[in-house]
Amino acid sequence: MQAQAQTGRLFRFTLKKEWLKILLWLIGAAFYVILGIFAFVEVYGDPSEREAMAIAMENPAMQALFGRLIGADDYTIGAMYSQTMSLIGYVIFAIMSILLVVRNTRSEEEDGILELIQALPTGRLAHTTSAIFILLLSNALLAVVSASVLLALGDRSITLEGAVLTGLSYATIGLIFGAVTLVTAQLSNNARGAMMLAFGVLGISYMMRIVGDSGYELLSWLSPLGLIYGTEAFVSNNWFPIWIGLALSLALIVTALWLKNRRDMGAGLLPDRAGKKHASSFLKTLFGFTFKLLKTPLIVWAVAMLLLGVSYGSVIGDVEGMLEGNEVVAQIIATDPSLNLTDQFIGVILGVLAMAATIPSLQVMLKLRGEEKKHRMEKVIASAHSRLTVFSTFILLSTLVALVFQLLQSLAFGGSAVAVGYDVSLTDIITAGLGYVPAILLMIGVAAILIGWFPKLTSLIWLYHFFVFVVFYFGGLFDIPEVINGLSPFYHIPEQPIESWNWTVTLVLTALALLFMAIGSIGYRKRDID
Amino acid sequence: MKKVIEITKLKKTFGKTEALTDVTFDVNEGEIVGFIGPNGAGKSTTIRILLGLIKADSGTAKIFGEDVWDDAVSIHKRVAYVPGDVNLWPNLTGGQVIDLFLSMRGAKVDKKRKEELMKRFEFDPTKKCRAYSKGNRQKVALIAAFAADADVYLFDEPTAGLDPLQERVFQSYAREVQQRGASVLLSSHILSEVEQLCDKVAIIRQGEIVESGSLTDLRHLTRSQINLKTAEELPNLEEQSFAHNVVREKDEIVFQLDSDHLNDFLNYIEPFTVLKLESAPPRLEDLFMRHYETVKGGD
Repeated sequence: MQAQAQTGRLFRFTLKKEWLKILLWLIGAAFYVILGIFAFVEVYGDPSEREAMAIAMENPAMQALFGRLIGADDYTIGAMYSQTMSLIGYVIFAIMSILLVVRNTRSEEEDGILELIQALPTGRLAHTTSAIFILLLSNALLAVVSASVLLALGDRSITLEGAVLTGLSYATIGLIFGAVTLVTAQLSNNARGAMMLAFGVLGISYMMRIVGDSGYELLSWLSPLGLIYGTEAFVSNNWFPIWIGLALSLALIVTALWLKNRRDMGAGLLPDRAGKKHASSFLKTLFGFTFKLLKTPLIVWAVAMLLLGVSYGSVIGDVEGMLEGNEVVAQIIATDPSLNLTDQFIGVILGVLAMAATIPSLQVMLKLRGEEKKHRMEKVIASAHSRLTVFSTFILLSTLVALVFQLLQSLAFGGSAVAVGYDVSLTDIITAGLGYVPAILLMIGVAAILIGWFPKLTSLIWLYHFFVFVVFYFGGLFDIPEVINGLSPFYHIPEQPIESWNWTVTLVLTALALLFMAIGSIGYRKRDID
Repeated sequence: MKKVIEITKLKKTFGKTEALTDVTFDVNEGEIVGFIGPNGAGKSTTIRILLGLIKADSGTAKIFGEDVWDDAVSIHKRVAYVPGDVNLWPNLTGGQVIDLFLSMRGAKVDKKRKEELMKRFEFDPTKKCRAYSKGNRQKVALIAAFAADADVYLFDEPTAGLDPLQERVFQSYAREVQQRGASVLLSSHILSEVEQLCDKVAIIRQGEIVESGSLTDLRHLTRSQINLKTAEELPNLEEQSFAHNVVREKDEIVFQLDSDHLNDFLNYIEPFTVLKLESAPPRLEDLFMRHYETVKGGD
């Protein structure tokens, strides 16, 4: 086993440099599970409330958002937890594993660290294999942590088998997407590409499951997310998705190792295109240059948002069909039009889409800090551009991204809803989508303050965004105190079409966002550039 | 002498680019071989093939008689490598990284030698790698390499980023390992360094070795510059086959003399009254430059 020489030593070393990150991820994961199970036990202790929730969840639109309704006839805490917490959890844990694998494989190869390691008497596969061990270890710990939390905080419906299965389903998802990343790390010759490809697979899996759960069931089973969702822990406790998932991971890992053993250091299997010889006149402007830095991820995001919008839009027609067959729900709607589930759904989806569109906007803003950390910003600032100009250019671009992406996705969402024959006004949906722009601007403003005054804490913006998402996503399920809700800018945006446009909110949020941006720019002009 | 590195007819293409077309040369035991050529000529590609990091399309490369790709691990136990651009884990200290690299060799670390190296290179091992300048990151790899008791040292522009004093420290260590019988392959753009240090050079251009041999041999290929002053007019010097680029300045003549036609020149000058004869030795740089320049001219 020459190819594996020194794997053990490299693994111990990798552990030494990774343990803190893994620990923080695990704490985050534990927190996620605790929050979910604790809140369900507290809020939905009463069976009648759970029954009401089950009826609401029968709405195909809600199922598209959360996951297929399971255990409807006996909607226990366990069933509720499995239905509403699984998919988001899967996505979070998949991201954790994707980042972990890229960080420990292609990133180090791209930086030339692997070259130094492999010039030592270490096997050709030792570095990748130690990353695989780290992946296995962190996901095993994830399984143990989540199963233990569930057992400790759950009620009677949280069985031992279900808890173990839930933990294993999280670990399996981590393994599958970690293994996918191991393969994409062989395909692309740079870390960003490897990560983008893996996130692409995750995105496609998510959309396949949206469409699958609204009727084309096969699509759900073909998506790793849909497959593992099929474990239905605490309801039917299916084990076979776990076995399939583990087998799939194993196959992917073997493929990745096989590719790694054959290929040249630094090479990828996907071809590199030749670049342009000269800078265009657009690229020579500061705005053009900034745009160029972010062009590829922005295009990828735009495609992803369009697909997400279309996926959600296309299932909207099914809501109508469901309402026809369900007298109880029809009755509820008849007595109170504000409870129109479809309109509610539109409001929720637009909010989710807006939060997704916030990510690329923030990415643009954070690029300013990312470039600085790589000591590339000094070249721009040392040239004829003032710091204020540079800062404003990034603000401008991220604001534009917010506007354009909101427009694009509401168009995709509304357009496909109209295309499948649902009776909704496209202009209303676009207006509703644009209504979220001030909230996104506020997020950009917070990022601007962090970059300007607390550059080392810049990534806290993601934590804030995650918080905003949690408040929004689970706001409908739990009673979150007003004070906490209010901390999220999205909470203040009226949920059109149920609620109507509110100029006060629009203007106040926009003004606040501009103020934050200005404060950030003052800090940026005064502080040292790394 | 025992051949330690044997490279025969190496070929390597990346997509459509032919990186190496025909690379053949040897490094013997106890030799320092300079590996020079313009950017993109294939120096790093050759060294990375020697390290088993990338695989040659055809041809053979052997170190200690073993295949560089198949037997990489056992070869690397006796090989130390320093690239020209060292990147390290930002959150580890230089000292930790050096220890890690040495521990991977499995051999016991000679603490005294490590300390001595750090002192000579004026290296502070307690700082995190993210705080190191390029030169300091370079030192991490150099210290780890020289602290290892290797038989072959592969250096790919190892002194890039070092100051002139530390460049000298590098050179003295390179001589030291040579004296205990190790072989060194040194790729470098610093021609004076190569000239001082190397017994042999191999010149690569566009993926092909165009010249290789001992420095003394190569000197014959070049020309000396002659400054000459005679009492009489020198007729038809320009027509002599040994003289090149003849320039007459006032009463002095400057020209290039083929090194292997020295005697012809002496015979030619014999009948005249020589007032001044200065000969500048052939500089290696001139030889190298010839190869660098032909590339620029686009061949």
